[in-house]
Amino acid sequence: MVPVEHYFVLATVMFFLGICGALFRRNLIMVLMSIELMLNAVNLVFIAAGRGNSSLDGQIMVVFVITVAACEAAVGLAMVIALFRKYGTVNTDFLRILRG
Amino acid sequence: MFDLPLFLNSSLLSIGVFHFFAAMITIVSLLVVVSQHPVKSAVFLVVDLFLLAGLYASMDSHFIAAIQILVYAGAIVVLFLFVIMLLNLKADSIKGLRFSAPEAAALLISFIGFLIMTFNVFRGQAPEGIKGGFSIEAIDANGGNTYMVAMRLLTTYIWPFELASMLILLAIVAAIVIAKKDKILKSLIQKELR
Repeated sequence: MVPVEHYFVLATVMFFLGICGALFRRNLIMVLMSIELMLNAVNLVFIAAGRGNSSLDGQIMVVFVITVAACEAAVGLAMVIALFRKYGTVNTDFLRILRG
Repeated sequence: MFDLPLFLNSSLLSIGVFHFFAAMITIVSLLVVVSQHPVKSAVFLVVDLFLLAGLYASMDSHFIAAIQILVYAGAIVVLFLFVIMLLNLKADSIKGLRFSAPEAAALLISFIGFLIMTFNVFRGQAPEGIKGGFSIEAIDANGGNTYMVAMRLLTTYIWPFELASMLILLAIVAAIVIAKKDKILKSLIQKELR
């Protein structure tokens, strides 16, 4: 049995990489993909902790997280397409209406 | 009950195999973040999701491993690839990392959070939660992982399950409305109002 802590460290590394991608990539699609990476890190923690505590609720939570991730990807990509139609770019440096 | 390959069996999963998986996941995640072209990133994301599905299977979460591959690798990443294909981005708009003062501060703060989390993990035992009654042996004796997850999902968690279906319905409508061209949408609304 691999200790649960090992999974937590792996998930922390993945989450950190996801944050870096979401903050530093200019492409909006890449930002969404980094968010998917972060959600996957969270899923790993849920499953590892659920196994460590002999509980099934972690796995059920992951089902809902995957549902929300699918919805988020669909709506987010629809917004990317709408933005691209309106402004002709998905570069976050040029989308500065909300930046003031 | 089908038998997993020996090296994926949870009781036999050696720490070496886990470290191999962990190293691969870390490298592939890094490649997802730093790849210049979004298509490359999406393909690396698929590899990452498959590796994670392997880890889930090694933790006796067979159902989650299956839907990880079906839903994540099969549907979500394909959606990403479709959008990348539809947008047909020019090379100059897809490249480039950004680095300025606010981002540097954000990176510093997130790195400190990362260090704190890692330090807490290594400092001692994880806090003991309440042990549920679903040990691996109990699950196997009662019909296997998929059966037990389904039973729990469709009895105890039936209302969140139904709400999730409502959320998906809303997301479908929202995605169509957002991505529709303005003219078509306006004419549709006009037709509805008439």
